[in-house]
Amino acid sequence: MMDREETRLRRSPFRMRDAALQDYVQGIACRLGADHCPDIRVYLVRTPLFNANMAPNGMMQVWTGLMLRVDNEAQLAAVLGHEIGHYLERHSVEGLRDAKSRAAFGSFMGMFGVVGAVGVLATLAGAFAYSRDHERRADNIGLLLMHKAGYDPAEASKVWENLLMELKAKLGGDPTRSPMFATHPPAAERKEMLMKFAERLPGGAKNDDAWQGRIKQYCREWLREEVSRGQHEESLALLTRKIAELAPQPDFLSARAEVYRLRAQEKDLDAAIADYQAAAVLGGEPPETHRGLGMIYRLRKQLPEARASFQRYLDLAPAAPDAAIIKNYVEELGT
Amino acid sequence: MKNILAPLLVILLAGCAPAMVKVDSGSKTMGERMTLTLEGAWNQINARGLGPAQTWTMEGLPVDQLLIYTGIKNDQAIHDESKSGTKSFKFRSGMQPDEIVALYEGMLTRDRSSFTLVKLAPAPFGGGKGFRFEFTLTRRVDNVQLSGMGYGVVSEGELFALVYMAPRLTFFSRHQARVEEIARSALIKTGGKGI
Repeated sequence: MMDREETRLRRSPFRMRDAALQDYVQGIACRLGADHCPDIRVYLVRTPLFNANMAPNGMMQVWTGLMLRVDNEAQLAAVLGHEIGHYLERHSVEGLRDAKSRAAFGSFMGMFGVVGAVGVLATLAGAFAYSRDHERRADNIGLLLMHKAGYDPAEASKVWENLLMELKAKLGGDPTRSPMFATHPPAAERKEMLMKFAERLPGGAKNDDAWQGRIKQYCREWLREEVSRGQHEESLALLTRKIAELAPQPDFLSARAEVYRLRAQEKDLDAAIADYQAAAVLGGEPPETHRGLGMIYRLRKQLPEARASFQRYLDLAPAAPDAAIIKNYVEELGT
Repeated sequence: MKNILAPLLVILLAGCAPAMVKVDSGSKTMGERMTLTLEGAWNQINARGLGPAQTWTMEGLPVDQLLIYTGIKNDQAIHDESKSGTKSFKFRSGMQPDEIVALYEGMLTRDRSSFTLVKLAPAPFGGGKGFRFEFTLTRRVDNVQLSGMGYGVVSEGELFALVYMAPRLTFFSRHQARVEEIARSALIKTGGKGI
């Protein structure tokens, strides 16, 4: 059944077909999976939501919404390591049942060497004793895999913290209303556990620049997909964090402006104008920056500004799907 | 196909089988203010979870859908809201055409399908200055590529719209002209004045 699903995924129009990015993410998964690398097959899937998953046959899906959200390689490794943890944990559970799989579990523990394995076993045993929950185990294994692969395990708790911030924004400050929390450990506990465990495994790389450089060409497209979800509160939490953390980038500012414009609550249009203008000052902004400005100016009867903004949009994107309606606005606005 | 039929099966097992009613040729009053004129019959599907649009089909719901919106009011969702935990896409009276199209994009991609706007242009609809849009939709459940088109207008603060979609191969082109005719026939009453 899984193989049939994988064949379907391989042919899916939702699959990203960028060999270089594919190899790059596969490489991260392989560093984490080590000896299990040949079993792991990564597929990048165009879906603007935070998710990755791994099937028992080794098929791993990584969604573009996750890639947009993580800040560096280490954070992506935290999620992939967690998924590989689920995969390996199934082996370890089987290992308790038969000698063959017991060897596989031993092989996994062997990845950390004798000294490492003692600490690992103690930690895992603690985690197992505390709870049988699969998510907790996968978290622990994921951190170990990160450490072994040379990534900073401290980044794992940041992924969770960032996701929590989006969920709080979406659910009015109460993330426990999310269906996700039915299957995942309580947020505070999970974050604390990840931080505590990461302290035992200090050091490691984050690779911020490497990651940002790799995804740069896709950011505009992924941001458009994020905005089009219509999940304004979540998107604003994400974009505000990114704008605060990253060097100023016109695409993120323009995307946030677009969310404000579409949400259109009190003062949102003022916030949208400020972000659109900041994006335009930086230069290299998406053409939609000027369409958005034009829409707001038109609404506010600032006719010369509206006309100039629409004209700039048409100059930058003459073949845009909505060029006809924008031209119509320009004609209505007169000279 | 199994995936497509699953929701229908759930409806049947839940004892709320969708009712299909034939819509004959001729003039039809839609809601309180819109009339459409049909040449040829359609099938109207009535089932829980399909409002507030009237849902018509030629080939059956898994294949093609014509959604007809009449008099959607300010702050009213353009889809059924009974499923809890999902974001509602609500119309606002002051919305511009691009915002209304964004609303439909949000609604149609709630299941993670992929929407691409192909064209948005001014167009008369219902006797007023409306807009027409074309789009493609890649359906998540089965990866089928759909083509779609829509007409819309805001009249006296209410949204009137037609949205049609069908598989890009064969079905969309088979029925597109018929839908265009229906859109051209639309007439919206406005307190004695035109819109």
